[in-house]
Amino acid sequence: MSTFIKDFVEREKINRRNFLFASAAGLTATAVPGILGRGAAFADAGGWSLAWSYRDRASAYWNAIVSGGEAYVESLGLTKEDMTNLINEGSSEKSLADIKAFLAKNAGKGAIASDPNDSPNARPVVEAVRDAGGYVSTIWNKTDDLHPWDIGDNYVAHLSWSGEKPSEDAARLLFEKMGGEGGVVHLGGIPANIPAVERLNGLKNALKDFPNIELLDEQSADWDTNKAAELMSSYLTRYGDKIKGVHCANDNMAYGVIEALKAEGITGMPITAFDGNPEAVDLVMKGELLATVFTNPHWGGGIALALAHQAAIGAFKPSEEPNEHREFYGPSILVTQADAEEFKKTYLDATPTYDWTDRWGLSAGGIVYK
Amino acid sequence: MTRFLTREAAIRWAPLLVLIALVILFTAINPDFFAQRNFARIAIAAAPALMVAIGVTFIIVMGSIDLSMEGAVSLTAVLFCFAFLWLGGTLAAGGWLAIPLALIVGGLIGLINGLVHVKLRIPSFMASLAMGFVGTGAAVLITGGDIVRIEDDTFRALLTWRIAGFPLMVYVVVILAFLAWFIQNHTTLGRNFYAVGGGEELAHASGLNVRRVRITGFVLAGVFYAIAGMLQVAKLGQAESVTGANFMFISITSVVVGGVALWGGIGGVWNTVVGVLIVNVINNGMVVIGLPDYVQDGMLGLLVILAVVLSTDRRNISFVK
Repeated sequence: MSTFIKDFVEREKINRRNFLFASAAGLTATAVPGILGRGAAFADAGGWSLAWSYRDRASAYWNAIVSGGEAYVESLGLTKEDMTNLINEGSSEKSLADIKAFLAKNAGKGAIASDPNDSPNARPVVEAVRDAGGYVSTIWNKTDDLHPWDIGDNYVAHLSWSGEKPSEDAARLLFEKMGGEGGVVHLGGIPANIPAVERLNGLKNALKDFPNIELLDEQSADWDTNKAAELMSSYLTRYGDKIKGVHCANDNMAYGVIEALKAEGITGMPITAFDGNPEAVDLVMKGELLATVFTNPHWGGGIALALAHQAAIGAFKPSEEPNEHREFYGPSILVTQADAEEFKKTYLDATPTYDWTDRWGLSAGGIVYK
Repeated sequence: MTRFLTREAAIRWAPLLVLIALVILFTAINPDFFAQRNFARIAIAAAPALMVAIGVTFIIVMGSIDLSMEGAVSLTAVLFCFAFLWLGGTLAAGGWLAIPLALIVGGLIGLINGLVHVKLRIPSFMASLAMGFVGTGAAVLITGGDIVRIEDDTFRALLTWRIAGFPLMVYVVVILAFLAWFIQNHTTLGRNFYAVGGGEELAHASGLNVRRVRITGFVLAGVFYAIAGMLQVAKLGQAESVTGANFMFISITSVVVGGVALWGGIGGVWNTVVGVLIVNVINNGMVVIGLPDYVQDGMLGLLVILAVVLSTDRRNISFVK
């Protein structure tokens, strides 16, 4: 037998063996879910089903949160589809109903990350999960009197981001760019929103160290680009040349400010923003925006789900952790022109791979109540 | 008779008088308000809103309502941006083709609106509201929640190029307002809108194809929403799934404040123009006179009621629904 034929036969044997293995695996994979419903997911998530409950897919921010959750699920060897998306569309009632339905469907074996949509809704959500025997982490919204350690191990952790310090850092940068003097205007988010309040407080903190900077006005533009453009135009009529710098509570409003200034032919006005969205980072690189603040929603979305799931499978016991591991702030990074390119390469063009067992690696410390 | 004429004239000119009164009021409090540069700012803010409001005016004159504007503006703006970038990213390179494309999409949205309303016999309120959600949903789907930016300086000249102190887009809007007035007053379609709004049964009995008039009205409105979508892109340099947000409130409010009756048959394009200016003057003026922002929403509401009281003829209306 020529070596060629021998090789060919040998190769075919291997292929045939691989084919059999593959078919067997494939059959199991298709048969098991057929019998057990969600078999494949059960196998790798330790018998737990995973879900993220959030507002909608209409913003870069929530997309980043969800991508983090998906990255965690994929790190378990599962696919994105194994994480259930519970979209509440800005309704607290729907948020709670979806979570209850998800728990009922999975006989209580659900590990859930949730933004409860508004603070009062956090309690019913975590109590529903506790009563069903599931595990939950929350982000952003909860009342100050609700603490994971009071509910028990089933309420694993709460993650939030403090807007105050990063917003203050951005303001300081802005004031230095303005040469330490002149008028500044602030465009804020929806007035009662906690992040809107914190980001304005950050600005006010920075003002204390700059006596020659005057806060001319601070009004709400509801986080909205169009409203911000119109508010900025009105500011220009009222304050005109007195405005030497603009402090915005998020990126979207900064886009509106830039356009309102462009319409007037004003260039070079220092503007700071918040959120670190890709478009804002591009504007920072171009110098149209002085700085923005990145809060790493990808990590936040991933770690919130990871904590709930890891507590569910017993990888750690929440009640044995200190309080600052159960209520903590996410990270924030000030992005300026000097580091924007590097930042974009690391966080936006590529997604860093996180070790989801390093549960508090990026935490910015325990939540502080005033 | 003389008294009747006077009263009719007063009602007719009331919205304009309200507008002038507001300008005088704001100027008295802060003289900076009365400056050409500020008027240009108000005009820029009003331009896309006026296109939406004119679109919905045709529908309201027919006695129907169209609430699809937010979805329609978002979807056409987003599709316009994608098409513009795909066709080369500049107006000169072929991006201009995105303009007729967006107009066609706007017309199609209106057509579906009209067909759902007329053929499935769903009230226009519900049919158009649902279509608006479909439009917003489609915009979310297409963008995936991201922002689409247009950097072309030629296209952005609509905002940045000024003639006599006003940006190009303001002139475009003025021309289109005249076009809308022409459709309203000098075409059969325009007169038919009033026939349907004034008395649908009568119009039908007179042999008018009411269903076709309704569907055409929605198509026309859709085209104006598409124009608003493009102007919004020109104004902000970007489109996203929330580009159309707030247009529902602004446009319906403007139409009513301008003196167009929600029960149909009364008012027209010029009422809407004045209404849009009133709402935008209020919005701008409240900041310019330094009203705290927590008072502004309430004040806007009060001024809207006041403007409606002054500018609509409600004497012969037996029921207000």
